[in-house]
Amino acid sequence: MTGPSTRPAHPAPPSVELLLLAAADRGARPPHPVGRTLPPPRPGTRRPPRPDGDRLATRPLRHAGKVFAAEALKQHRTLFGQPLVLASMLVWPVLQLAATYYTLHPIAAGSAAAARWPLAADPAKLLGFLATGALAWAFFFSLVQSAWNFAYERTTGTLELLFLSPADRLVLMLANGAGALLQNAWLLTCFLGAAAFGFGSLDVAGPWVYPVVLLALLLPAVAWGALLNSLMVFSRDSTFVYTVLDDPMWFVAGVRLPVFALPGVLRMLGAALPLTGSLAVVRGALLEREGFGELAPGLGRLAVLCVLLLACAALALRLGEARAQRTGGLRLS
Amino acid sequence: MGEQMSVAWATLRRTWTMTFRAYPWSYAVGCLLIGVFTLGLSYLGLHAIGGGSVAEDFTARTGGADYLGYIAIGAAGYMFTVRMLLWSSKALITEQRQGTLGALLIAPAGRLPYLLGFTGFALLNTAVEVGLLGGFAAVLGVTLPAWHPLAALAGLLALSAAVFAVAVLLGALMIVAGEAHISQNTVFLAVSLLCGITFPNSYLPVPARWLAELLPVTSAMDVLRGALGRGQPLTELTARLVTCLALSLGYLLLGLRLLPAAERRAAERSF
Repeated sequence: MTGPSTRPAHPAPPSVELLLLAAADRGARPPHPVGRTLPPPRPGTRRPPRPDGDRLATRPLRHAGKVFAAEALKQHRTLFGQPLVLASMLVWPVLQLAATYYTLHPIAAGSAAAARWPLAADPAKLLGFLATGALAWAFFFSLVQSAWNFAYERTTGTLELLFLSPADRLVLMLANGAGALLQNAWLLTCFLGAAAFGFGSLDVAGPWVYPVVLLALLLPAVAWGALLNSLMVFSRDSTFVYTVLDDPMWFVAGVRLPVFALPGVLRMLGAALPLTGSLAVVRGALLEREGFGELAPGLGRLAVLCVLLLACAALALRLGEARAQRTGGLRLS
Repeated sequence: MGEQMSVAWATLRRTWTMTFRAYPWSYAVGCLLIGVFTLGLSYLGLHAIGGGSVAEDFTARTGGADYLGYIAIGAAGYMFTVRMLLWSSKALITEQRQGTLGALLIAPAGRLPYLLGFTGFALLNTAVEVGLLGGFAAVLGVTLPAWHPLAALAGLLALSAAVFAVAVLLGALMIVAGEAHISQNTVFLAVSLLCGITFPNSYLPVPARWLAELLPVTSAMDVLRGALGRGQPLTELTARLVTCLALSLGYLLLGLRLLPAAERRAAERSF
């Protein structure tokens, strides 16, 4: 009986850690000695332009790069205490996918289904539909989890340290989400990608579709994560948000059922979630051979939604921090 | 015997008091939502996609069960399993996390009555929550046209026994591994896929079906389904009932056999 202990005999491969650590350390050293004496940037305050123009152009990017590398390293260390975690990230979605497929099979294979939902007639297409749902769900749910974990920064007292550091707040929120996404979803993406190619259920207009699909998943997911993280920083009960966004999110976003099967109220709720829009683009592009013209309205809506999510995240951070400075309490209102 | 009863009763009362002073609402709501959305998914799918009809192979494999009733029984059984496992198998690791496992180990109380008392509380708590799911099913218009009360009671007892036995073994594994999240969710997903929860498990490939037979929840669900869905009397369900109880006994004995070693290991590691 040798289960994994809390102190694993084989820690995560050192190469990744060293790589990230090096990146974070390199980033932590300011490019110029003067950099250390600069006041920490606050959200919304803009530094006066400095004479050396070309350094200024690279500064925000380099700053963001540092924060992203540091957050990715932190996520990696928190998540991969046990090598077993990796198996769970791959095995759970696949088990879930199989259970959902068999649950819907009696309906989809029924005599009346093909007329209402042409995709249902072909088992490979149905599996493709559910697999794209599972993939997008993994993307967006990993951010709910990341926000849930982020709320622990409040209780463990490291949030103050984060806010005292010179890292830009919004970049911090984005980086935390992106780090979680990278840790959680890359393996599943590879796996389902390989499965989809092998299965032959993909029906795409051209190879340009794949980067578009990946971006349509990635960017809204990161924006969504930034908003959730910003809200979690100022929320007292993160478990509740976790509960509200766990099962209801897959239900209203059409992860396991086509959106037309949902009643109107739920469809409206779903339209407010970026997952719904991402799924529409992903499924249209991968399963229904939609060209760029057909995808464009969906992509446009997604872009608007991303901007809105980011604006809400920035607003929540600004309001929350202003209140914290005034009252000392970490709440939004 | 009397002493063991008092240990079980004390554990039940302690857990009752603790839970009702700080009831884990969001946890309970989250678990209830799993059942509610499983049922909701099937309801919407059946009406908006299937037009109220299901494939013939489903009817053939289930002996003519109606789809929503089948899912409702499965969702209720699954929620029962999940909630009971969450309570009972995590009893010991919760003590470990709260720092009271050492005190429990040196107390003269036996482990079996302690776990039985804990499970007794979980049973009361879970009955209320599964009742809520049953209410939701009734709102959706799910009815049980023919059901056999005595066989249903036997099915409920079988499922409780199966879950308790699995919980003892899983609890031992949890304190050895020092983690609950991965092990518990893997078991939940395995149960939902293998044990005939939302679809007849004859859809699965043969090796998976053999694996399913190793879990006592599969046979317990068969008994429950026979009693609630098809109204079969106890005499027709004896074979599955005996399978379930024998498997549960095996799991229980294995769990109790491993528990002392697991506790030793957990105690050694925490110092």
